[in-house]
Amino acid sequence: MNEDNTALTEREEIEMLLPWYVGGNLDATDHDRVERYLAQHPEVRRQLELIREERHQTILANEALPTPPAGALEQLMASLPGRRPGLLARLRASENYRNIVERFGPPAPRAIRYAACAAVCLLLVQSLAITALLVKDNGAGYQTAAGKSDGEGLVFLVAFTDTASTADLTRLLQDFDARISDGPKPGGIFLVKVRVSDASPAAAEALQRRLAARRDVVRLALPAKE
Amino acid sequence: MHEKAHDAELMARIAAQDQAALRGLYARHCARVFRFLLRLVRQEAIAEELTNEVFLEVWRKAGSFEGKASTATWLLAIAHHRAVSALRRRREESWDEAEAAEIADAKDGPEVELQKTDKAAILRRCLEQLSPEHREVIDLVYYHEMSIGAVSSIVGIPQSTVKTRMFYARKRMSELLKAAGVDRDWP
Repeated sequence: MNEDNTALTEREEIEMLLPWYVGGNLDATDHDRVERYLAQHPEVRRQLELIREERHQTILANEALPTPPAGALEQLMASLPGRRPGLLARLRASENYRNIVERFGPPAPRAIRYAACAAVCLLLVQSLAITALLVKDNGAGYQTAAGKSDGEGLVFLVAFTDTASTADLTRLLQDFDARISDGPKPGGIFLVKVRVSDASPAAAEALQRRLAARRDVVRLALPAKE
Repeated sequence: MHEKAHDAELMARIAAQDQAALRGLYARHCARVFRFLLRLVRQEAIAEELTNEVFLEVWRKAGSFEGKASTATWLLAIAHHRAVSALRRRREESWDEAEAAEIADAKDGPEVELQKTDKAAILRRCLEQLSPEHREVIDLVYYHEMSIGAVSSIVGIPQSTVKTRMFYARKRMSELLKAAGVDRDWP
């Protein structure tokens, strides 16, 4: 195959430009050059028809080809280097996820459960001021009590810090042998049930202090009853 | 122009590691890239894999995209290099014209024989028989509507070579058509 253009005639040079002339993406100089040549050599116009036909069939051949299969995009997104898993993925990866999903579990549709989990995450970042106001509101909020036991453990009203990660929450729940039994309630408050062997008021008070001491994760911890 | 502006905005966001922007760019260009690759490598699984590699490279290198060429040109340039590397690795298809024609001829079956009676089908078949590099330049000019400069950037050859390659691709197609019984009286 010869791609050396040194021996080309003027006609061949013009013919070389015709595919782009037909496609309308020739620069102004070459476009004018082609126009002038075609005006002087009308027989070359026949070439334009051949090119249009080639172009048409090339387009048809390409348009008949498939597009990437469904799922290819998700495969791409999953393979992004250094990709931090999404919030839902991180939540799902945590042990605490089971506790949360149980609240919205089957037979709720999957999408609703995901939405519920997303709502949990959003409510985690509610402001402290709103939380405090709601807790103080005895009518609409939650009554505090001195270490109420439901027979399985002690229940606390807990609000988490804005910066607490899923891993932090999981660690906290593991440390206290606890699980989230309800929530989020208005103000971003969760009901956290802590398994204990001693449910006395003194033990409850000590547990509350220990919870509240985890300031990196816990924004508010109060003994409560539902 | 609006399309280019949209692409440019997506590229800027991808450079800032915005995954939604990558999804947007993929939605706009995946068919173009995939088909371009499929015409070269001829296997869907490989074309799919290479398409993902193209967009992964976009994700990594969007920050170096200067916008001198269009986004489509940049994507196809990456795709071209990926395809050439893949073909070299596979060694299943050379860039040799005669060999490519042999492969295409070997696929003849009853359906192809029937198509030989239809001029349009014959033309499409002749397109398939072109060498990968001739098929590539034909696709870039006719289907992807790339300018001479854009083809030069994508394939990595001088503009003068783009023009002659297209010219000889068309000449080769005329020869194939003549051999199939369609004389276009050109060249």
